[in-house]
Amino acid sequence: MVKTAHPTRADYYKALAATLPPEALVVTCLGNASYLWAALHHAPENFYFEDAMGLALPLALGLAVAQPKRPVIAVEGDGALLMHMGALVTIGAVNPPNLTMLLIQNGVHAASGGQALTNAGLDLAALARASGIARAENLAKPEALGAKMRASSKRDGAEFLVLATEPDIEVVHPPVALDPIMTKQRFMAAIGAPRYIPTLFGGGKLEGM
Amino acid sequence: MTKTGAERPDAHRPSEMLATLKRLGFRAVVSVPDGWLGELLVRIEQEPTMQLVRATHEEEALAIACGIRLGGVRTALLVQNAGVLSMGAGMVSLAQRYQFPLLMLVSYRGAPEDPVFYHIPKGRATEPVFTGLGLAHTRSDRYRPIGPQVEQAATYAEEGSCPFALLVSREDVQW
Repeated sequence: MVKTAHPTRADYYKALAATLPPEALVVTCLGNASYLWAALHHAPENFYFEDAMGLALPLALGLAVAQPKRPVIAVEGDGALLMHMGALVTIGAVNPPNLTMLLIQNGVHAASGGQALTNAGLDLAALARASGIARAENLAKPEALGAKMRASSKRDGAEFLVLATEPDIEVVHPPVALDPIMTKQRFMAAIGAPRYIPTLFGGGKLEGM
Repeated sequence: MTKTGAERPDAHRPSEMLATLKRLGFRAVVSVPDGWLGELLVRIEQEPTMQLVRATHEEEALAIACGIRLGGVRTALLVQNAGVLSMGAGMVSLAQRYQFPLLMLVSYRGAPEDPVFYHIPKGRATEPVFTGLGLAHTRSDRYRPIGPQVEQAATYAEEGSCPFALLVSREDVQW
């Protein structure tokens, strides 16, 4: 059996699935981040990105602001984070305590075949702390993620966990259609988001507003 | 009979714009600053019924706005036109692909009435790029009250399940 230097994404995902808080909303970035999570733990409360690289964290920030009573867990890649590092500063400024970010650090652009990052060795947890996210740590084992998830119910700010992993270059085939409109509608129905009530000739409003 | 200032619907256009957002149930605004939008953003920040999220980049702001709307809160995006030029990928692969209804209030810098000359190249590119992105948009009409124009833009976004940009002039947003 081949022994890898780091755990795989699947190892961390299994630890996450076993410790996922009740009511959790999960946002996964493009590629295997979404495909593998759909294979391991498909739920209406998952929002899967199929593209829009680098935008999973800011979308998760918005979701955490809109749903302050529910834990929001975002899975982002190191390459994607480098595309929109400013989002860390924005998240540090808002600092919602219900937002947990899991940063897969595999050192490559896995979804495009494994090209090296501009800076694969960057200390992303230190970068997050410098951006105002005090609760930022590097983790090397799935057990450590499990312990963090179990302990994260009451916090004073967002949490940023950098997970050292092997690159997962092989594309996982998701068991369900990740149709974007279906993903959005299913998600919004699951959380009871108010519907838009059209009014003939304009002037519609969101339900209850 | 001569109407007093208080009776005219366009007595103070920026106030009417903010009042319309409140009346329509907008509870969040995501923004990247712009000289024209600056005072409106200050007023929004002081408004207890609304939350202002300040972003570092317009594409990031777009994603935050999508996330807030996904969470069930009506959201407006306030940015300069240059910011829309730089958010193209997120516009097509997130906001449009997932059909997020988003009201965008976009300052139209570099239009002929903008005295700041270095905005001209952005003004010239604005509407062709918006059209190229498939971003539904219109310019505000300075001869009509701004409130109904904001409401029409918001309704278009919801009915069309898409972002809609209302290109606003300086008098629409400056106190």
